Amino acid sequence: MKIERFDLIIVGAGPSGLSAAIEAAKRGMNVVVFDENARPGGQLFKQIHKFFGSKEHKAKIRGFHIGEQLLKEANEAGVKVELNATVIGLYQDREVVVRMGDEVHHFKGDAVIIATGAAENMVLFDGWNLPGVMGAGAAQTLMNLYGVKPGDRILMLGSGNVGLVVSFQLIQCGCDVVALVDAAPKIGGYGVHAAKVARTGVPFYLSHTIKKVEGDDHVTGVTIGQVDDHFQFIEGSDKHFDVDTVCVAVGLSPMSQLLKMAGCRMEDNPKRGGQVPVVGEYGETSVPGIFSAGDVSGIEEASSAMIEGRMSGVVAAEYLGYMTAEEKDAELEKLEASLDSLRQGMFAPKNRGKNITETEEGIDISTNLLKKGYVADDEIERFPGVVHKAGLHPVLECTQNIPCNPCQDACTRGCISIGDNITSLPISVTDSTCVNCGMCVASCPGQAIFLVNEDAGDGSATITLPYEFMPLPDTGSKGKALGRDGSVVCDAEVVQVRSGKAFDGTSLLTIKVPKEYAMKARFFKAAV
Amino acid sequence: MAGRIKTHPILGAQNEGKRVVTFTYDGKEMQGYEGEPIAAALKANGVMVHRYTMKQHKPRGIFCAIGRCTDCVMVVDGEPNVRTCMTPLAEGMDVRTQYGVSDKPFDRQ
Repeated sequence: MKIERFDLIIVGAGPSGLSAAIEAAKRGMNVVVFDENARPGGQLFKQIHKFFGSKEHKAKIRGFHIGEQLLKEANEAGVKVELNATVIGLYQDREVVVRMGDEVHHFKGDAVIIATGAAENMVLFDGWNLPGVMGAGAAQTLMNLYGVKPGDRILMLGSGNVGLVVSFQLIQCGCDVVALVDAAPKIGGYGVHAAKVARTGVPFYLSHTIKKVEGDDHVTGVTIGQVDDHFQFIEGSDKHFDVDTVCVAVGLSPMSQLLKMAGCRMEDNPKRGGQVPVVGEYGETSVPGIFSAGDVSGIEEASSAMIEGRMSGVVAAEYLGYMTAEEKDAELEKLEASLDSLRQGMFAPKNRGKNITETEEGIDISTNLLKKGYVADDEIERFPGVVHKAGLHPVLECTQNIPCNPCQDACTRGCISIGDNITSLPISVTDSTCVNCGMCVASCPGQAIFLVNEDAGDGSATITLPYEFMPLPDTGSKGKALGRDGSVVCDAEVVQVRSGKAFDGTSLLTIKVPKEYAMKARFFKAAV
Repeated sequence: MAGRIKTHPILGAQNEGKRVVTFTYDGKEMQGYEGEPIAAALKANGVMVHRYTMKQHKPRGIFCAIGRCTDCVMVVDGEPNVRTCMTPLAEGMDVRTQYGVSDKPFDRQ
């Protein structure tokens, strides 16, 4: 039997696997990456939103663009990626067995990095397996990779970042999202992700879950009910929706089977998402020469997976003598600082399950945001991004401490201040002059920045808001301004529409409303 | 129901320049893009049911779309249990609803 040898074999060509491969290949290692899919990049190419973080984490760049950059870097480093190659076994002495087409091939790696990622969880309810019920990731695959609408009328179960982001993406591709439902009493994902969905008019039902999905051969409707503190249905609380599709976004589980197969010590760790290998700081498993990186060793997100991947690539390179211990330590120090800054704030892994009621600044968190998906009009004023002054100025409706700061870099006029602490709430600086460049509005991954002129003359105010839907309204279009909760607040007219390369797909609509609605109007809906 | 996204606000024109191929679904002619997963082409044509389960004859369709769950398997060119979400569409493919592991409805098996 022929066994081909590599310095390093990586399983999974997603964000962490490719990042690991780049670091190892740069040190002169002979690296191969196996992936069962027809294209590389894992889930990155389905991520069409702008990423959070700071410049070093590629913040404000859309996921699929980060995927393109990563592939380019991998090519330049000479990484070999074998696609349509399913790893079916990991045996003693790092023997890797791969199915390619109808053949099974054997390989041996002096080191192996498992970067297989995660798969979606499911919850069981009556009708959970009826055609039309699908993972939120499945919907994302259909619409963002293949240009196919997952359905027309959709109910989303799950208010974590996946449920929120995919709901927004469904609206972007023309689907009607009728409700966002979660059994938990509070929204699990970023408030800004919830707010951009809520302002389009999607109702949130927290402390609700699916009772039954209806339909004979496929989904025709869904009934949800309210649950009490013990997750038991409350009688008489049923609500029915006519839908053709139900998306489920209830978390991810690591796909760690290969590590278990290789005899790595495993643990059941709910904070990491389930069955995960017991690993050292840089992904070292209990078996020498086998490393893990990315979601397979604990569910996080693509930005941290890319850093973890680089770390394990560096550690593998030193393990095999391709770099010195000193060189390794210097690299790891940089990567660690970068990873550490991503793991800060309210949503940090260390804060999972904690009941956080106030921000780092000591401001009470909006209860409406956590229960209904939007900050109420009487709550928004207490945040430092919301100020009143004469003339145009940014209003930053960013109310939770998340590691993200592109807005501060976007403004060259000093109108926005976050400071050195990446999780601090942005401050709208009163003593500054906004030049209406719009870069802050377009660069905010949470779409939480608005340029407001509370008195634009003639008793009206103007609001510039981010807009990523089709069709794009024309200047002069008339319609309604919607509030943060998605309800109609007043008539509105579009007075300016800006799109451009620098805005990277986000258009800026400037709407004119009666001036008393300057702090209420946050979305535009064209008259039909 | 479902259908194609023509222009996406972020991704732009979809499936531009791709070759349109004709395939059959239970003998009926349909069109899709060459190389896209069979499941995507079926979804765009409004097909919801991919198979019926062996024991209880329950309908199943697209569920995970990444080759994990096997809910979307069908009989493709005579071969049963083909994961339609992972298998690229090609000209002239014969795609059939799978009943248990057969393309014959249960009352004819």
